[in-house]
Amino acid sequence: MISYDYFILDNGLKVYVHQDYSTPIAAVNIIYNVGSRDEEEHKTGFAHLFEHLMFGGSKNIPSYDTPLQKVGGENNAFTSPDITNYYITLPAVNIETAFWLESDRMLSLSFDQKVLDVQQKVVIEEFKQRYLNQPYGDVWLKLRPLAYQVHPYKWATIGKEIAHIEDAVMDDVRSFFYKHYLPNNAILVVAGPISVEEVKQLAKKWFEPIPAGKLSPRNLPQEPIQTASRFLEVTAKVPLDAIYKVYHTQGRHDVGYNAVDLASDILGRSKSSRLYEKLVKEQPIFNSINAYVTSSLDPGLMILQGNLNKGISIEEGDAAIQEVLNDFLKNPVSEEELTKVKNQAESTLVFSEVELLNRAMNLAFASNAGDVEYANLESSKIQAVTVDDISQQANRILTKENCSTMYYRAN
Amino acid sequence: MILDRVKSPAFQTIKQVSIPKIESIMLSNGIPVHYISIGEQPVVKLEISFDAGNWYEKQNGVSLFVAKMLGEGTKKYSSSQISAFFDQYGAFIEFGHGLDRANITVYGLTKYLPTLLPMVKEILENAVFPEDELEKFKKIQLQTLEVNAGKTSFIANKVFRKKVFGDNHSYGNSLDEEAIQAINRDTLLDFYQSFWLGKKPRIFLSGKITESEVNLLEDFFGKNDVQSIVKDISLNKDEYNLIEKSVLIEKEDSIQSSIRMGKQMMTRKHPDYFKMLVLNETLGGYFGSRLMSNIREEKGLTYGISSNIAPFSKAGYFVIGTDVKRENTQQTIDEIYKEINILQRELIKDGELEVVKNYMIGSFAGSLNTPFDILDRYKVILSEELSLDFYDCYIQNIQAITAEMVLEVANQHLAIDSLVEIVVGGK
Repeated sequence: MISYDYFILDNGLKVYVHQDYSTPIAAVNIIYNVGSRDEEEHKTGFAHLFEHLMFGGSKNIPSYDTPLQKVGGENNAFTSPDITNYYITLPAVNIETAFWLESDRMLSLSFDQKVLDVQQKVVIEEFKQRYLNQPYGDVWLKLRPLAYQVHPYKWATIGKEIAHIEDAVMDDVRSFFYKHYLPNNAILVVAGPISVEEVKQLAKKWFEPIPAGKLSPRNLPQEPIQTASRFLEVTAKVPLDAIYKVYHTQGRHDVGYNAVDLASDILGRSKSSRLYEKLVKEQPIFNSINAYVTSSLDPGLMILQGNLNKGISIEEGDAAIQEVLNDFLKNPVSEEELTKVKNQAESTLVFSEVELLNRAMNLAFASNAGDVEYANLESSKIQAVTVDDISQQANRILTKENCSTMYYRAN
Repeated sequence: MILDRVKSPAFQTIKQVSIPKIESIMLSNGIPVHYISIGEQPVVKLEISFDAGNWYEKQNGVSLFVAKMLGEGTKKYSSSQISAFFDQYGAFIEFGHGLDRANITVYGLTKYLPTLLPMVKEILENAVFPEDELEKFKKIQLQTLEVNAGKTSFIANKVFRKKVFGDNHSYGNSLDEEAIQAINRDTLLDFYQSFWLGKKPRIFLSGKITESEVNLLEDFFGKNDVQSIVKDISLNKDEYNLIEKSVLIEKEDSIQSSIRMGKQMMTRKHPDYFKMLVLNETLGGYFGSRLMSNIREEKGLTYGISSNIAPFSKAGYFVIGTDVKRENTQQTIDEIYKEINILQRELIKDGELEVVKNYMIGSFAGSLNTPFDILDRYKVILSEELSLDFYDCYIQNIQAITAEMVLEVANQHLAIDSLVEIVVGGK
């Protein structure tokens, strides 16, 4: 359970306060309801590039990082297909510095051409370091457009190609800022040894003067139901053949999500999962294998992926996975197996609440997704899943028609 | 009143951080147990740590294999049964391995600790390293190694450690194909018997716990006789001289180069340790560091560059690491030397030194957020046999560092000629 108080400013900024007096440190988390799914198809990677620009100076403050470091604070940010999230931890006595910095960059960036020039280069090096200069690094650049034909999830958050990042200009930066970086498109969570009154006073002082803006409705094209299996084969300079099988599932907070999530755990979360037990331990077909879901807000994916042992063909591996799936679909999951994955999920959830910053983020994500209570309902949703739910969801999702398969061959 | 958004709000420098105290007891057989109970979440972490890391092995890879294979079969249970057991209770078991020590760590909900302990004991006392599991494990390791061999950063790290510690120092060892192939069940059993079985570990317990969890440890681990191992076993660690300053490993198909530069460095007990910490932070320890400001934020040559001090029991190293576009490799190396040179010639300005120190102190305070973090700090003190007030004095020690001291250690410990330079990729 994560306790919280809530208020909203006149400009529409939602504020949550999670009090914890056991630490001298405060966490300040701001989530903007914009991610790579909000990009245009010919300007991908922009939400993430923009996140870099948020550290390049704001209207009244030339450097974001230095003043924060000076008061003993740390910060970072990340962008996903759904959201952009910024966070600070700092000594609670210096919390006003966080309000000062975050509110000024919400008010306006400096829109400095030099910052854009440099960050374009930085992001291009990031693109290369993480996606191109790594074995299997480009897997998601290829899988996304295979699984999604219409929805913007079809491009990766880093961008579809480097050229899109190179082509970004200051006008794009300005319009993106004024379209998405609005107080009424953001949620602020403050956690730590601090009273609600103090947060209220600081929030009113620093954030309330920022004018609200007009939000355009998000009309994303939704992915049509996949009716035929898809297949892609690529070759790359990697040592082991790999196989990826992805299936469309529901979104993070849609009915049935938890059953699907637990189904993926039964299949391939840990060493006692079905895929690992059968295809790594019993018959040594795979070097590694696992299953997981993307947990995106719009309908996501379940992924089964494995690296094959040398001497086993991808086709054999594919057939072996299919056999495990057939057995999973035909025979009901035992209560014991369900209890196991529930215990794992429960344990992960409790551990995720140990860190103050994670508690702040959990609240921010839940509120952004539509209901802050999602953060505290998760446990009962997990416990409510039945053997029948698993079987029903698995039979709905794990069909051949709903599957996109990629063979990633070593050359 | 109009809000002044230009002027920064008033702030305080952290003078002191009160680190919650731990409790320590001794089991009947002399095993020390250190524990702390804080936090609201009903979780527990149990770590049983042995002097069984790289330092103690005669054959490359053996200490790693022993640690990683403890859970692959015992007298009573198979590998699969062991995994299934921990999974059933939503617990996570990890087999940690480092240059000095190795450990078994279990995370779980506190209510399951009594149920989990018998299996932990079984693994510790009755591991059998089954032949078939060893073969599977070797195969997985070999293939993982092959995947990693495709990563310039992985190769660079490995070559760097080898260069810095030399061929005859176990800190320089990392797994290679030959080492993996050479491992057999007998060598594992031998190491297990010499460094794990019946040996005296340190036990660390943290989370939301009560006396009853602590008392359980006596029942499970306090009864058998245990021996300390000879800590300073010397394994022909030849004196090491830097012979080859730069190493270039060409990888034609790589679009970036991984650069690692550095040298062997002191342990935490060295009188210059805190001076080096501040120097390191200034040079490349945080986002506002000189290397980040110059090479990323000014020139856009990389996604990230950092420097690090890694102290272990017997020695340590200092490393600067970054990945850059191939054609920018030499420019980046030149800029790194330039920044070190500046630190050797010019005193840091007060403003910058203040930022560095405040940042270090703030992030130290911020790193003590969970019961696990706090006990981990103590674990370092206890395992390295440092003075118990090491962290209590941490802030004072950082505050005491002057610009002159930083300049002095930059000259003394970062002489340009003494740094190795590893490039994997191309220039």
